[in-house]
Amino acid sequence: MLTIKNLTASVDGKEILKGIDLTVRAGEVHAIMGPNGSGKSTLAHILSGRDGYEVTGGEIVYKGQDLLSLETEVRAQAGIFLAMQYPVELPGVNNMTFLRESMNAIRRSRGEDEIDAVSFMKQVRKKAAQVKLDPKLLKRSVNAGFSGGEKKRNEILQMAMLEPYLAILDETDSGLDIDALRTVADGVNLLRSPERSMIVVTHYQRLLEYIEPDRVHVLVGGRIIRSGGKELALELEARGYSWLVEEAAA
Amino acid sequence: MNQQVESYGQVVKQYIGNLPKGDGDWLSELRQKAAKRFAGLGFPHAKLETWKYTGIDGLLSQEFEVDDTSPEYAEHTVLQQFLQEPVSGRLVFVDGVYQADLSHCESAGVSIGSLHAAMVLADSTVLKKTGSLSGVGEHGFAAMNLATVHDGAVIHIAADTELKRPIELLHVTTRGAEGKALRSRHLIVVEAGTSANLVERYVALDDTTYFNNTVCELFIEEGAKLTHQRVQLESTQAYHMSDLHLELKANAHYHGIYAAIGAAWSRTSVHNRFSDQNANCELDGLYMADNGQLTDFHLDVDHAVPHCDSRENFRGVLHGAGKAVFDGLIQVREQAQKSNANLHNANLVLSRRAEVDTKPQLVILADDVQCSHGTTVGQLDPEAVYYLRSRGLSEREARRLLCLGFASEIIDRFESETLRLQLTEVIRQRIQG
Repeated sequence: MLTIKNLTASVDGKEILKGIDLTVRAGEVHAIMGPNGSGKSTLAHILSGRDGYEVTGGEIVYKGQDLLSLETEVRAQAGIFLAMQYPVELPGVNNMTFLRESMNAIRRSRGEDEIDAVSFMKQVRKKAAQVKLDPKLLKRSVNAGFSGGEKKRNEILQMAMLEPYLAILDETDSGLDIDALRTVADGVNLLRSPERSMIVVTHYQRLLEYIEPDRVHVLVGGRIIRSGGKELALELEARGYSWLVEEAAA
Repeated sequence: MNQQVESYGQVVKQYIGNLPKGDGDWLSELRQKAAKRFAGLGFPHAKLETWKYTGIDGLLSQEFEVDDTSPEYAEHTVLQQFLQEPVSGRLVFVDGVYQADLSHCESAGVSIGSLHAAMVLADSTVLKKTGSLSGVGEHGFAAMNLATVHDGAVIHIAADTELKRPIELLHVTTRGAEGKALRSRHLIVVEAGTSANLVERYVALDDTTYFNNTVCELFIEEGAKLTHQRVQLESTQAYHMSDLHLELKANAHYHGIYAAIGAAWSRTSVHNRFSDQNANCELDGLYMADNGQLTDFHLDVDHAVPHCDSRENFRGVLHGAGKAVFDGLIQVREQAQKSNANLHNANLVLSRRAEVDTKPQLVILADDVQCSHGTTVGQLDPEAVYYLRSRGLSEREARRLLCLGFASEIIDRFESETLRLQLTEVIRQRIQG
C-alpha cells in the first residue's frame, strides 16, 4: 500500500523529518507515537500534500505510484484521506453539499457515475448515526461553530463516506472526552478492512486501547527510533518517551 | 463635460416641449424644475466625495438617446423570466415601457398601474407623491430622470392587507433598448398595518448596451412591513443607476435584500431618513464585479429620531479586473437616543487586478445608542482551499464552493427560491468562467 524510504523534509528551512522509513501493507493499522514536535503531523501532512513542506530527499510510493508528484486532490481521488487535527471551518458551505461534491469528485476521477440524491441521503444519515453526529449538523456549514468533538466526528463521517484506501488520523483523539473518543474509535473500527490501511498519529496510548494497531512506531526528532507491536504502546504509556530518547542517543 | 450637459439639456428641453398636454400640468411643472436643477448641477464628477471612485466618462461617451418607441419582442422570451412561484400581482416593463397585457393583479387590497397611465389620466394622488421623497434630484442623473421620466410602476397596497405571495416588478430589456436611456420611476405605497413582499428585478434578453436610470420611492406607513427583494442582472454591457428613497412611519419595518451582479457599470443608492420612532430598516446586499464591471452601493441612513433600528450587511465578490465601491453612511443625530445601528461590509477579492473602495461611515452625535461597524477585505483562506482539495475537489471547485459559501450569507436571505437558485447559478458560472 505505502512505502516511505529515507524521507527528509523541512519547513521554513528547518529540517523536521530526518530520514523516515515506513512500510504499511493493505489492511494494516500502524500507530505513530511521539512527543510534541517530533514531526508526526508533518509526516501526516506530507502524505496528504499540504503546501509549505519541502521534501528534501527520499521517496513515497503509494499503490505503485510516486505519491510526491501528485496534487493534493489527486491523492484524495486515489484514496488517501487525512482526518485533520484542526479541521477548518467553512462558513456558508453546507456540510451535505460539501460531502456530496467530494464524493462525486472522487467518483468522477474513477470514471464512476455520480451518486444519486436518494442513495446519498440514505448513506449520510446511516453513517452520521454511526459516529453519533447530530443530524442537524449535516445541514449546517462545515465545522462552523462545531465543538471540538463534533469536528472530529465530522472528520470520521467524511472518512466513512469517502471510503479511502489509506486513512491517516492526525491526533484525532486530542481534545476528546472518553465517550467521544470511544465513538470516534468505533467509527474507525467499522472501517477496518483487508483493503484499507490506516496510520494513526497520536501522542497518547489512550486511543490505541480502542483502535488496536498492528505496528507501533516511535517518532522522535524526525526519526523513527523504535518499532514494535502493540505492546510497545503500553510500555510507552508506563515509562514515557525519555528512556527511548536516551537509548537512541546512546 | 459642459458641452455634454448642454446637449443633454437640449434633449431634456425638447422632450418636455414635445409631451402631449394631457400629461398633467402638475408633473410638467415638476419636470421643468428638475430640468433647471439638471442644468445647474450637471453630471457628477470625481471631485464630489460620493462620486470619487465611480467614474462616469464611459457612460457619457455612449451618448445614450431618449427614445420611447414601443418595444417589439417575442412574448415567450419575457414570460420565461417570470418568477417560478405564484405571485400576488405582476408588473412587467419591457425596455422601460409598461406592458399591460403581461401585467395583472387579482389580490384584494392591491392596485397596480403605470406612471405613464397616471400621467395620461392626470391622476393627482399619484402625481403628487411623485418626487415627494426624492426631491427634484440630488445629482444630475436623478434630476434628468425626473425631468424626462417616461414610465414606471405604481403599486398601492391598502391598509391591513396581509400578502403571502410576492408582488413581482420585472424590468426586461431587449435588443430594441440598444443605445437608449430608459427613465423610469417606481412609486410604492404600503399602507398602515400591511405586510407585503416585493420582488423587483432587472434582466436583459440580449447583450445590449443601454442606460437604465431608475428612481424608486417607497412609502411604508405605520406598522407596515415590506420585504423588498431586488436583483440587478442587467446585460454586462449596460449602465444601471438606481436611487431608492424610503420613508418609514412609526413601527414600520423595511427589509431590503439586494443583489447587483450584472451591468458594466451600476450604482445603487439607498436613502432612508428615520422621521418616526420605532421603525426598523434592514439592508442585506450582495455585489459582484468581473472584468469590465464596476458596481457601486451607496447607503445613506439617517437616524433623526429616537428608538429606531438599522442594520446593513453587504458582501462583495471581486474577480478579474472587477471594481466595486461601497459607501455606507449612518448618521445618528443628537436627539436620536436609543438608536441601534450596525453596518458590516465584507469583500472577497479573488484577483490582484480587482479593486474595492469601501468606506463605512458612522457619524454619532447621540450618547445613548448602540452602534457598530466593520469592514473586511480579504482573499480565500488557503487552509480552507487545502481542506477541500484534500477531500478530492480540484482547486477550481474548491474556490467556487468557498465563494458560493461567502455569498450564501446574503443569498440565503432571499425568500424566493427562484431567486436563490438563479443567483447561485449565476455566481457559479461567473466564478467558473
